[in-house]
Amino acid sequence: MEKKLSKKALTKSFHNWFYGHLTCFSQEHMQTFGYLCSMLPLVEDLYDNEDDKAKAMNTYTAFFNTEPQLGTLIVGITAGLEEARAGGAEDVDDETINGLRAGLMGPIAGIGDSLVVGTVIPILLGIAMGMSTGGSPLGAIFYIIVWNLFAYLGMRFLYFKGYSLGTKAVEFLIGAQGDAIRDSVSILGGMVIGAVSATWVSVTTSMQLLNEAGEPYLVLQDKLNEVFPGLLTAIFVIACWFLMAKKRMSPIKVMLLLVVVAFIGVLVGFFNPGLVY
Amino acid sequence: MTISWLQAALLGLFACLSSMPGMGGSSVGNYTFGRPLIGGFICGLILGDMKTGILVGCAMQVVYIALVTPGGTVSADVRAVSYIGIPLAMVALKSYGLEATSTEGAALATSFGAMVGTLGTVLFYGTATINLAWQHIGWQAVEKRDYHKLYVVDMVLPWISHFICSFIPTLIMCKMGTSVVELIKTTLPMDGIAMKTLFTVGSLLPCVGIAILLKQIVKQVTDFIPYLFGFTLAASMGINLVSATVIAGMFAVINYKIKMLSVSKAAVAGGYDDDEEDI
Repeated sequence: MEKKLSKKALTKSFHNWFYGHLTCFSQEHMQTFGYLCSMLPLVEDLYDNEDDKAKAMNTYTAFFNTEPQLGTLIVGITAGLEEARAGGAEDVDDETINGLRAGLMGPIAGIGDSLVVGTVIPILLGIAMGMSTGGSPLGAIFYIIVWNLFAYLGMRFLYFKGYSLGTKAVEFLIGAQGDAIRDSVSILGGMVIGAVSATWVSVTTSMQLLNEAGEPYLVLQDKLNEVFPGLLTAIFVIACWFLMAKKRMSPIKVMLLLVVVAFIGVLVGFFNPGLVY
Repeated sequence: MTISWLQAALLGLFACLSSMPGMGGSSVGNYTFGRPLIGGFICGLILGDMKTGILVGCAMQVVYIALVTPGGTVSADVRAVSYIGIPLAMVALKSYGLEATSTEGAALATSFGAMVGTLGTVLFYGTATINLAWQHIGWQAVEKRDYHKLYVVDMVLPWISHFICSFIPTLIMCKMGTSVVELIKTTLPMDGIAMKTLFTVGSLLPCVGIAILLKQIVKQVTDFIPYLFGFTLAASMGINLVSATVIAGMFAVINYKIKMLSVSKAAVAGGYDDDEEDI
């Protein structure tokens, strides 16, 4: 007996996920309740019998957590699987569905965190900050419109691709083309972030050496900028990267270390914001 | 500059929407309203000083440009940064008479934001913990097969968690903060060591934000080159961010084409190998 999900149920399921995947977050169950709410319209559409509904819903009580935006793909895939199960496919059971969910949520979280949250959003924010230089609201409005269109349409695309293609949809992400896209986007991201840090981050030193007449003959900041404009900023960024990536320090520890560095720097006269009332 | 009860309540509402896990959903809430740049825009609208709001938002945005929350571990809370940190920084700037466009203004804003954001992680854990109670109701509903209750559990009841952990703290901090800022101003002079350190920390903190992002991108030393290339475009050549993005886009397209070329070449080479085996 062939069963087909109605477009209305699929759309409702997608919207429940788009809005509700993290609203009831806890450290213990994370996105599990969002997933249940997303599957409910589908289960109600596919089954008439209360026992069948309960059996289907119980499948999705298993723990779930991933990068929710890219993870929409997984929800779409399970929509397809649930439809197949309702239609009597014998090779689809609790184990296949939950095995697939558990198997995909790790890799998708990794790709989603680095691609969406770690690259696409910073690039958009970088452009938006460029547009907002001087206090114009233009950049903020640009980000609100562009990001939300991208997120909504992108997630909708992923949901329905997952539904229609099933597990084949994942190949696009982890295949050769997916690799090439990710590699190129990370180059784009790296360059934009370079420009963002040169524009918005400014680490400067007030260190200077005075001659006998009390006039500065060596202003360290100028000397450093002759080597490479913004050198001190770049050094601090790379040092922070080194501490976090190579020494496995947490961001909070690095921030605390910077407080110490700033304090010592101010004491020895390396840093001086030069403020008076 | 003072913050009225109505303004503080509006800021509290946006705090509910924007946090991770927020009532606006991730894309609209956390990743839009939660970003400090957008927070600055909203705070500017609510407090009636758009320019200062945006500038403070931009300064804080650099620190949190790549705020990734893998597995639900947070190092800073966006609701606190955007809707407690930004309003208080705006008040502080006015009180100190600093220009938001100046480096000092940005440094003050950044220190405030980071301090509040780090302390704000308490709010994140608070919200998530209270949600456990609603989830308990949810599991009972699943057992009783009362599935429609799940909608209430997932999308309505968490408002209570947010009233306690987002709305109330924001309301109180924004109302009380104004006098705290005044207190700090009178007890800690600007040219004293504490304020000098605070401002210096403010100028150093964005480096951590950028470095968190680089951690995602840099896998080997040569991966630093795109970063330094972008840096050079802006610092040495004075190219603005939008133009720099266009140049970066060009390089990304070239890289994509080369990558895809090597993929298709490998496929062709593989084909020849098969032929040889046949012979």
